Amino acid sequence: MTLVPPPFDPELAGALELIKDMIQPGLTMDEIDLVRQEPGIELLAQLDLTADGFFKVEDRTVPGPENAPDVSLLICRPVAEPTAGPRPVFYHVHGGGMIIGNNRVGVEVPLTWAKELDAVVVSVEYRLAPEHPHPAPVEDVYAGLVWTAEHAAELGGDPERIVIAGASAGGGLSAALALLTRDRRGPRPIGQMLMCPMLDDRNDTPSAHQMAGLGVWDRTANETGWTALLGAARGGPDVSPYAAPARAEDLGGLPPAFLDVGSAETFRDEVVAYASRIWQAGGVAELHVWPGGFHGFDGFAPQAALSQAARAAHLDWLRRLLG
Amino acid sequence: MKELAGRLTAVDPDAGAAVRVISYFDRLAEARAGLEALVRGAAVLAGCPARLADTARAVRVRVEPDGTRKESWTPPDPDWPCAPLEPGGPPALWLERSGTGPSVVDAVILERAAGAVRLVLDRIRGRAPAAPADDPALVEALLDGTVAERTRLHAARRLGVDPADPAVRLRALAPLGGRPRVLTCRAGGRPADAELPAGRVGVGPAVPILDLPGSWHAARTALRFTAEGTARDPGPRVVYADELGGIVLLADLVPSGAEPPPDVRAVEAAAAVPGLLATLHAVAATPSQRAAAAEINVHHSTLQDRLNQAEHLLGWPLRTPQGRLRLQLALIMRHLARP
Repeated sequence: MTLVPPPFDPELAGALELIKDMIQPGLTMDEIDLVRQEPGIELLAQLDLTADGFFKVEDRTVPGPENAPDVSLLICRPVAEPTAGPRPVFYHVHGGGMIIGNNRVGVEVPLTWAKELDAVVVSVEYRLAPEHPHPAPVEDVYAGLVWTAEHAAELGGDPERIVIAGASAGGGLSAALALLTRDRRGPRPIGQMLMCPMLDDRNDTPSAHQMAGLGVWDRTANETGWTALLGAARGGPDVSPYAAPARAEDLGGLPPAFLDVGSAETFRDEVVAYASRIWQAGGVAELHVWPGGFHGFDGFAPQAALSQAARAAHLDWLRRLLG
Repeated sequence: MKELAGRLTAVDPDAGAAVRVISYFDRLAEARAGLEALVRGAAVLAGCPARLADTARAVRVRVEPDGTRKESWTPPDPDWPCAPLEPGGPPALWLERSGTGPSVVDAVILERAAGAVRLVLDRIRGRAPAAPADDPALVEALLDGTVAERTRLHAARRLGVDPADPAVRLRALAPLGGRPRVLTCRAGGRPADAELPAGRVGVGPAVPILDLPGSWHAARTALRFTAEGTARDPGPRVVYADELGGIVLLADLVPSGAEPPPDVRAVEAAAAVPGLLATLHAVAATPSQRAAAAEINVHHSTLQDRLNQAEHLLGWPLRTPQGRLRLQLALIMRHLARP
């Protein structure tokens, strides 16, 4: 097995150079508190949520899982009256390795879709590991979706056209959410948008080894995130698919999936494998592997040509999905 | 990068920012990034549009600070910071930023980007044959049907085109106000945007060498169908003669400088209302009203209001196929009737 890593796309290599003081490839358990205090990923959360007055924005507190605290939802809906009935809903789950972030992080991505496609965005806050290990995060995300489906009409949304979406840990939680809603006969999202999703706690694929010490969110950081979520169970025989969707034995009966990942990131092989397994189970999936992309490249360097292509692919898929 | 670029210029405009700029372009150069990536780097780091225009090599790239490529070729403002590709050469790389005075970071961006661009140009132009050189006398000979065939073939050879190659095809270009140009085209394809001159251009069909006078005639006709592509003069900046089809017949019916037909006068009257001309063009040039609204960035209901107003001023409907055709013809004739 060769350990030569694929090269980064030229523009993305330059972007990595610019962010290297703020975003390092690795992360250990000791550094979690430090990272939470740094600007780092929070930079991505600084934006005008109303998109120049296009959306009205509110934070709603809704019931959480049984015997657990309430869940906070960020709700952004177009100010204009809908012209064609209830709007699609993008239910967004933020990233941050299960250990950092809030429901503002990365929400500019679904907001851009919603502006383009006239939709409502609901972004869920969930409890973070390691203070709140599995199943706290995914149960919070599930509770938020149940509320959203039941109250969609109140938001001008269509409960039959909810797309769940997230990047990184948010992608992993979205994939888990698709499994949970299938198995509990809960709300049925019509699509799952899994952007560079974090799917496999085993952290042992060739790409995980190949990219060690490189790019964003390498194998060490990934081990930290999964260990925070699962403790000593990480990588062992008893990990729930609702924590690590790659562990699911049955990937049949899921809503159509969009998956993408960079060729130069830890998650490459687990994402490709997950897409293949959806097809093998007779499901519908679209997979993009962006050459030379590091983890989350389109968020860190949205101007790069590859990022523009990735974001166009997201929108194209949604357009086809929503008709 | 945007946030980071903001931090670069805001936090430490002299030392730290300059170091970051240098390492960014070094990484791009190491990774053999192309011209667009380099110009994009300049635009993103500077936070304003950046353009590369090297006439001698027929290279043009313009990128907005959000990273999207956008061709918009107003003449460079003398205020803009700029840099040549070679010491002492003409300016070729600009940051489209006026009135801020010289900044150290801008200077570093321009210097590093220009250096990297020069390396790329040496690399790619050294490998691929350039477009036929622009020797005006040779080009003129090629386009003139009264010149002896032997002389025209000789001129082609001097321009680097092989007359013995039966597959060779060329297009004549008629830029507004510029001298004629000739482009070789691979497999009859369309030239890349970077190969075309700035501003309005008519492009003749791809033809064998000896048919270039016909291509030139068609290019000049196509030029009459072009527009600046601005809100005041909406329309295509580049028109291909071989895509006009039967519409080209209008060129003879409406001579340049002629008294405008009544429908054109109606359009002129409507054009006095701000924004209405762009609306009319969007409705004529896009496949649906939804697309038209998106094209001019207005809400669907605003578009409907404007269409009501336009129909009132023009005196014919715009939401029927016949009405749309009448509008399209009026807009085209408006261009043709220009002096």
